[in-house]
Amino acid sequence: MSPDTQSPDLPAPARVGIGGPVGSGKTALIEQLIPLLGTRGSSVAVVTNDLVTREDAERLRRGGLLDPHRILAVETGACPHTAIREDPTMNLEAVDRLVESVPDLSVILIESGGDNLASTFSLDLVDYWLFVIDAADGDDIPRKRGPGVVRADLLVINKTDLAPLVGADLGRMQQEAREVRGGKPVLMTNCATGEGLDAVVERLSHDVLFDE
Amino acid sequence: MALRIHRVIGLARDADLAERLHRLEHAGRLEYLTLARDDVHRRRLRARTDRETECLIALPRDQALSDGAVLVLDEARAIVVRLTVERWLTLSPRNEASALELGYFAGNLHWRVRFAGPRLLIALEGPKEDYLARLEPLLRDGRAVEVEDDAAAG
Repeated sequence: MSPDTQSPDLPAPARVGIGGPVGSGKTALIEQLIPLLGTRGSSVAVVTNDLVTREDAERLRRGGLLDPHRILAVETGACPHTAIREDPTMNLEAVDRLVESVPDLSVILIESGGDNLASTFSLDLVDYWLFVIDAADGDDIPRKRGPGVVRADLLVINKTDLAPLVGADLGRMQQEAREVRGGKPVLMTNCATGEGLDAVVERLSHDVLFDE
Repeated sequence: MALRIHRVIGLARDADLAERLHRLEHAGRLEYLTLARDDVHRRRLRARTDRETECLIALPRDQALSDGAVLVLDEARAIVVRLTVERWLTLSPRNEASALELGYFAGNLHWRVRFAGPRLLIALEGPKEDYLARLEPLLRDGRAVEVEDDAAAG
């Protein structure tokens, strides 16, 4: 490699946003990703966003998957969209604190506050973002064309095991998701069991971690 | 094999780079990496040049991609970033009340906008049909009218 293509500066840790409606499984996805990324050699930290509590961060700390100092909570106090898009200052400060306190970080997962289908991430905050929806919320979600569903780098349809219990057609959901997303990737998971998570990690590795 | 890029060398218009780029272009060794406007905000990105060179870009936080950013420059080749032209939807509100309503509507959907006199320009970050579908109630009864000529977008 030529000296003109390389820098002594190490690239900053990858920042991956995880958004989606309340209860879609964002925190459960993170709980699955942490050990899988760790197995691949990634040094992981997490920033959680909650409206008025630190519930998600405390859940992750209780789970013991990461050292507590690798988990920071942001209390947005207001519109969760704003904290990850229009004014991500609080999240940027949290990321900076993690980078300072954990020098070997390779990836920071930033979980948005639970919301509706409209949230998207600022690319000043993250390099790549996932949007998680719940199959049991109905197979018509993708064709509603919410900005989160349409614009995320990766759409994750979670809780696939619950789809038959509510009469949701998973095949249709996946097909319509692909159509509204113009070919961008769609993956199916069950974060309660870990099903489908290897594919999520493979996608992250390929698209943003570059650790293959 | 993918090329790992960890810094921006400079801009194509920089005097000391322009000469070298010019020579490489004549030798057929200049490649362009075309990116959407949104993508230049990313510090990490996988993308292919117009000659199918796969680039794994991972920049320090104090560096950013931009139109004309030079990512690779050696005797063998150069790689320069080009941005796609941004598309805008231009709308003309019927009156002041409609203008307030249209502005509120666009803000509520967190759309990126610009203003051109009495017109509102909405950055199209997805299919235009999606935006028109959202605006349908305003367009249907004429509270807002799409202006086909997007010259105002500049």
